[in-house]
Amino acid sequence: MRRRTFGRRQALTILGFFAPAIVFVSWFTYWPMLQGAQMAFRDWNLWDLTSTPWVGLGNFAMILADPVFPIVAGNTLVWVVGSIVPQLVIGFLVALALWRRFRFRGVYQALIFYPWAVSGFLVGMLFRWMFNAEFGVVNDLLMKAGAIDAPLPWLADPKLAMVAVIVANVWYGVTFFAIMILAALQSVPDEVLEAAAIDGAGTVRRLFSIVIPYIWTTLALTVLLRSIWTFNSPEIIYAMTNGGPAGRTHIITTWMIEYTQQGSYGLASAIGLAVMVVLFVFCAFYLMAMRRVNQR
Amino acid sequence: MNRTRAVTASLATMSLLALTACSGGGSAADGTVRLQMVESLTNPARTALIRELLDEFEAENTGVTVDLVSPPTDQADQKLQQMLQSGRGVDVLEVRDSTVGAFSNNGWLLDLSDDATTWAGWDDLTDNAQAVTAEDGARYYVPYGFYGLSLFYRTDLVETAGFDGPPASWEDLLEQASAIQDPGQNTYGYAFRGGQNGFSNVVAAVEAYTIDDLDVENAYLLTDGSTIFSAPEAQDAVDTYFSLFEEAAPPSAVSWGYPEMVEGFTNGSTAFLLQDPEVIATVSESTTITAEQWSTAPLLTGPTGKAAQPLATAGWGVAEASEHQEEAADLVEFLSGAEPATRFAQENSLVPIIDGAGEDPFYSEGPWSSYVEMTEDPETYVNVVQPRGVSWWTEWEQKADRDLQAVLLGSMTTSELLEEWDTFWTEKYASEQ
Repeated sequence: MRRRTFGRRQALTILGFFAPAIVFVSWFTYWPMLQGAQMAFRDWNLWDLTSTPWVGLGNFAMILADPVFPIVAGNTLVWVVGSIVPQLVIGFLVALALWRRFRFRGVYQALIFYPWAVSGFLVGMLFRWMFNAEFGVVNDLLMKAGAIDAPLPWLADPKLAMVAVIVANVWYGVTFFAIMILAALQSVPDEVLEAAAIDGAGTVRRLFSIVIPYIWTTLALTVLLRSIWTFNSPEIIYAMTNGGPAGRTHIITTWMIEYTQQGSYGLASAIGLAVMVVLFVFCAFYLMAMRRVNQR
Repeated sequence: MNRTRAVTASLATMSLLALTACSGGGSAADGTVRLQMVESLTNPARTALIRELLDEFEAENTGVTVDLVSPPTDQADQKLQQMLQSGRGVDVLEVRDSTVGAFSNNGWLLDLSDDATTWAGWDDLTDNAQAVTAEDGARYYVPYGFYGLSLFYRTDLVETAGFDGPPASWEDLLEQASAIQDPGQNTYGYAFRGGQNGFSNVVAAVEAYTIDDLDVENAYLLTDGSTIFSAPEAQDAVDTYFSLFEEAAPPSAVSWGYPEMVEGFTNGSTAFLLQDPEVIATVSESTTITAEQWSTAPLLTGPTGKAAQPLATAGWGVAEASEHQEEAADLVEFLSGAEPATRFAQENSLVPIIDGAGEDPFYSEGPWSSYVEMTEDPETYVNVVQPRGVSWWTEWEQKADRDLQAVLLGSMTTSELLEEWDTFWTEKYASEQ
């Protein structure tokens, strides 16, 4: 009996400490999420909020039937893969370069990590000017280096525009990979590497046989996190091309913004909900695949 | 038990704090009134100016204080909508010609008809200012100024190319811009708008070509009820307009929006720019071109020598849910008064709402004179109303911009563009009936 009373008190104390967090997270995260989710099943248009009837899966059907959908889906895939692969490779190389102690390492680290402190929208604005055909620094440098004879219309040509937005995103995201990988590299024990070196393993062998397996979990999780963020982040594209030219750089989230701007909150919410489901499925498969690899 | 009470009390206190944090202005115990005003086209200089005007209002109206809320422009309309939907926290707000329809449809705006027309300063407002406030028998806002197009041009380049003066018509513009175009020297004829909001200049050209049959109350329709895009003259208009891209603009103008166009003109690489008067201040501050090197000319005319001047506007309105509608209406009246309104219009480069303000040297000299010229000749520069308040306006903007870029990229012809636009508007209007 005494033990039960103590347990209840303890439970109340715990609840007391948790309560503020529960209230705030519920109020500011889950309640808006539920509100947003129910909009996906209603005809919720800013123009007339006096009538918001339930439409079942109608909004989802409209999205799938939209001729823009396949283009947007393809662009999203190119945007995610095209951004993540270079970010991983360059971020890895940067982390390796910063791994060992050398003079002014702190300064180099600060310089390389600073993009992470800049807002994505601002990055987009900066790159929009850098890629401007007439006044931008990119064409200027390429012409001075003799790589091109005439200015390239980076943001006006559909293919080049996708390259330009991906370059901006790679620049922005390399930092995160570098930070995460460097932190993981610093946990690799020196004695293991030294022992491998004494046994005759060269740099490449040590990298692939010791370092990468050691930091594998960090690599996998970083790729997962950045894939989700890249999939979800419209700001660079929005600031650089607004989805243009002629919708050729539209991804799923810039498309969602377009519907929001039209006041079609029902359709925008349906896209948001679909994105959440797609990401959930992706995460589940990814983590299962990672587990299998780790078990080998 | 004490602990249970303590936990319950803490939760209740926090909930109360959260609720009070969400509430807007109101009446204090001492009887003072606190109004909350929300602007939506925010920038730091403008916010500072509004604050100064609000301080003057507070000095004249003892017992009333006004808090100014200035959300970032790109999120402002959404935040405003959320506040209006919640029915709290907004007394006075910025209402735009593109938001007034949605806001009033949802019952969020107070009809100012009775207040506005009985104000002492009502008769000081220009006919345009009085006219735009009326919507379906109600008046939901009082404009603070108008945005209107004029042609910014390089006086030196025009002269060097052998022309006597700036172009008056779209045909003239094509001729002069093509003559000036010299990509080898990094000189381009026309700052072509291919990016965001690029469709608006195409429509300006179509309206100039169809002006004789234009429904001035809805400048997307002809007097016979068909759309302007179905008129035979519209084909000539778009062909002339897109020739500007082919013959007198940089190829990358496909993606040029407001910043690139203005930069192209201020850095001296483009000879012509079609823009709102707010650009006057930006160009004046440029160190790349001198005051003698540029000026403005009236909006370009069509083949019959007339142009349609679509006046975009915004103003101040009162929230229906405001608990202090009387004081809020007083604030709108104050801001629409001759002195504050003229100051606001001048410092934000807007066409003024006050009758006779155009006689001020500020407007009658230099680059502003073209606006006065247009105002004084309404037969040539016909004021028209575009249907910016329809529920599909944003959808239209996005579609029209995409189609415009498709033409520039060669994946759509100009006649397909007109057919698309005609179908879009015809179907939208038909679905309303």
